[in-house]
Amino acid sequence: MTLSATRRLALKGALACACAAAFSLPALAADNVLRVSAIPDEAPTELQRKFAPLGKYLEAQTGLKVVFTPVSDYAAVVESLATRKIDLAWLGGFTYVQAKIRTTGTAIPIVQREEDAKFTSRFITADPAIKGLADLKGKTFAFGAPSSTSGSLMPRFFLQQAGLNPEKDFKNVAFSGAHDATVAFVAAGKAEAGVLNASVWDKLVEQKKVDTDKVRVFATTPPYFDYNWTVRGDLDPALVKKLTDAFLKLDPANPEHKEIMALQRASKFIPTRKENYDGIEKAAQSAGLLK
Amino acid sequence: MEARLNDPAARSRLVGTLAALVILWPLLQAAEVKPGALFDAGNLKVIGHFLAGFLPPENSREFLGFLGQATLETLAIATTGLALAFLLAVPLAYLATAAGRERPALNPLTRSLLTLLRGIPELVWALLFVRVFGLGPAAGVLALGLTYGGMLAKVYAEILESVDTRPAQALRQSGARRPLAILYGLLPQAARELTSYTVYRWECAIRASVVMGFVGAGGLGQLMDQAMKMLNGGEAASILLAFMVLVFAADGLSSWLRRALDAPPAAHPSPFGWRSGLVAAALAGSIVASYRFLELGIGDLLSIEAARSMAEFVSGFFPPDLSADWLDRVGQGVWETLAISIVGTLLAALLGLLLALPQPRAPFSFVLNTLRSVPELVWATLTALAVGLGPFAGALALALHTAGVLGRLYAEALANAPAQPSQALRLSGAGPGLAFLYGTLPGAAPQLIAYTLYRWEMNIRMAAILGFVGAGGLGQLLYVALSLFHYAQASTVIIAMLALSIAVDQASAWLRQRMR
Repeated sequence: MTLSATRRLALKGALACACAAAFSLPALAADNVLRVSAIPDEAPTELQRKFAPLGKYLEAQTGLKVVFTPVSDYAAVVESLATRKIDLAWLGGFTYVQAKIRTTGTAIPIVQREEDAKFTSRFITADPAIKGLADLKGKTFAFGAPSSTSGSLMPRFFLQQAGLNPEKDFKNVAFSGAHDATVAFVAAGKAEAGVLNASVWDKLVEQKKVDTDKVRVFATTPPYFDYNWTVRGDLDPALVKKLTDAFLKLDPANPEHKEIMALQRASKFIPTRKENYDGIEKAAQSAGLLK
Repeated sequence: MEARLNDPAARSRLVGTLAALVILWPLLQAAEVKPGALFDAGNLKVIGHFLAGFLPPENSREFLGFLGQATLETLAIATTGLALAFLLAVPLAYLATAAGRERPALNPLTRSLLTLLRGIPELVWALLFVRVFGLGPAAGVLALGLTYGGMLAKVYAEILESVDTRPAQALRQSGARRPLAILYGLLPQAARELTSYTVYRWECAIRASVVMGFVGAGGLGQLMDQAMKMLNGGEAASILLAFMVLVFAADGLSSWLRRALDAPPAAHPSPFGWRSGLVAAALAGSIVASYRFLELGIGDLLSIEAARSMAEFVSGFFPPDLSADWLDRVGQGVWETLAISIVGTLLAALLGLLLALPQPRAPFSFVLNTLRSVPELVWATLTALAVGLGPFAGALALALHTAGVLGRLYAEALANAPAQPSQALRLSGAGPGLAFLYGTLPGAAPQLIAYTLYRWEMNIRMAAILGFVGAGGLGQLLYVALSLFHYAQASTVIIAMLALSIAVDQASAWLRQRMR
């Protein structure tokens, strides 16, 4: 049987594609790279700026080339860690729990800022009639991103403790996507109240980016564990140790380190462990965000 | 005398208007239309403040570096994505088309695959691929490849069916097999239209690749999303400018290419001269360059590990969550999405018509071009500031973008409508308003309605995803479900989106047939 011209052409094409695929493989196996990402709680340009000196420092400490990938989606960072597209990630408490579940418990939280061990969220409003959580009934309310710990999960959990169900008791629930966007919406009256990360609120107040005569804090959550640096579970243990030590060695007395820590808004890095986040996991289950 | 001056169609028009209002009322309710919010002093102040921040556009060297990189990435995603779409579309079109067959037996399996590919918006594909293949442009390329592959295949199949079949029949009857009959009998006639449509799709791909950045698939959209979320006016202005320059350039290049195709070939022994060679080389070069630039690592996507994580990911979507509770919420989402799309399209038709009428055209054409060159998702972030998060913001965003598109088409249709009836009315003493209403409009109406219905089909897909920026509807449900890894629930939402877009396509086709 002879092959028709088109069939021969198709076969040649398939062969060419196969060759191309085969040749493109080795180029990807370049393995002396540490791939890092972070949940987008601030603008990626800002994250990249903040990360640059830390990246250089980690390069010097590990001898690896450090590549930072900015993203615009919280869940994408979790999934990338689970599918081993990144090695090291800056996660929130809830995103860490999601990562732990997605990686069947193998993702390892290595360090966190001292501040993260007792993190809080602030409820804000511009409506003089709102004086406490109970006054939120029938109002419009803005969370941050759905998978944000301080802008969604923990506030939801504490609202629940106060006997409020956002979907039933609020007039309208919106996700602003980011902490500073929540402030903008409350300031503008888009939402009658909202909740955000205490550290972003304090930063905005310090920088005078919010009119505190108009927008005020009317409640603060009890403290909980938040942000950490997490590595994927199958990373070389020697490298994990190097990374952990590198973070713990950061010393504000050293001017070079001081710049890194100021950008990370950290007074000190401390070791962390999985158990610290059990409370978050329970809160997520009872708030219905984990199934 | 009195009676004769009355509008003879008054009664039917009145009934029609009333009926439309009765149907529209619940939709207006569902879309939470509250025009008052647009003029609320507080809202005007906020949006004014944000827009004031647009000036001066951000122009620090570092940011311009990011911007340049993102612009190139957007171009490369569109080009590689369309190349992939083309590779998919050719065999699919061959399988789906009735062209060159003895009996016009359509291939139902391929046809339904095409519907599936087209029915799920590229943004949803992108969102899914971002999860499977990680962050960055690979997700955008694949999403574009699939959706546009489906669209190209459908249109290719239809174009091949629409040309004269006799050459192909003659070839088949003299023993040629189907591929050869299509190659030599149909392609020469259809080539120009096929190329023209492909180039047009490339232009659309550029717009789409910007939008996909909103879910983390790289490029300009990703920068835009962040700038908008952080309410950084200066950055948003620079990105918007870069985007408009890109779209206008692509628009220009695409219409130049299509005009070049319309010119008759030179009287040479061979139709392929140095110019064809140059175009082919540039095309091949840009595809290869785009592919290299993106560092896609297709090999990585083809690995066993990738296949496993893909399978794991997909299996999470089955079975869809059909609990009464969730179905209830999805049902509400469907209704809200439908309302957003209809209210948005109608507002757009109204605004578009108003902008299509005045003469001279120049300033109004500029307004229309500006309206349509800003993507819906970007309008939605602005309208959400103007009227608050929720469905009305989505409807307004759709209306603004679509008004730009429809206004241009309306202006063309009105200019092409027969002039005699309106002239006759003017000569017999009617004012310009009446001459337009009774002379020009009836002639152009079928065309106007057809354009509006086509846009509605596109807007239902867009309305389904506007929720990603807080505009309510199915998009918000999908965004939250995917953020929380509730894939079974996400799956129900995607099925609802698909069903809704198919239903709207059918409804629109039925309405268009009725209008004929």
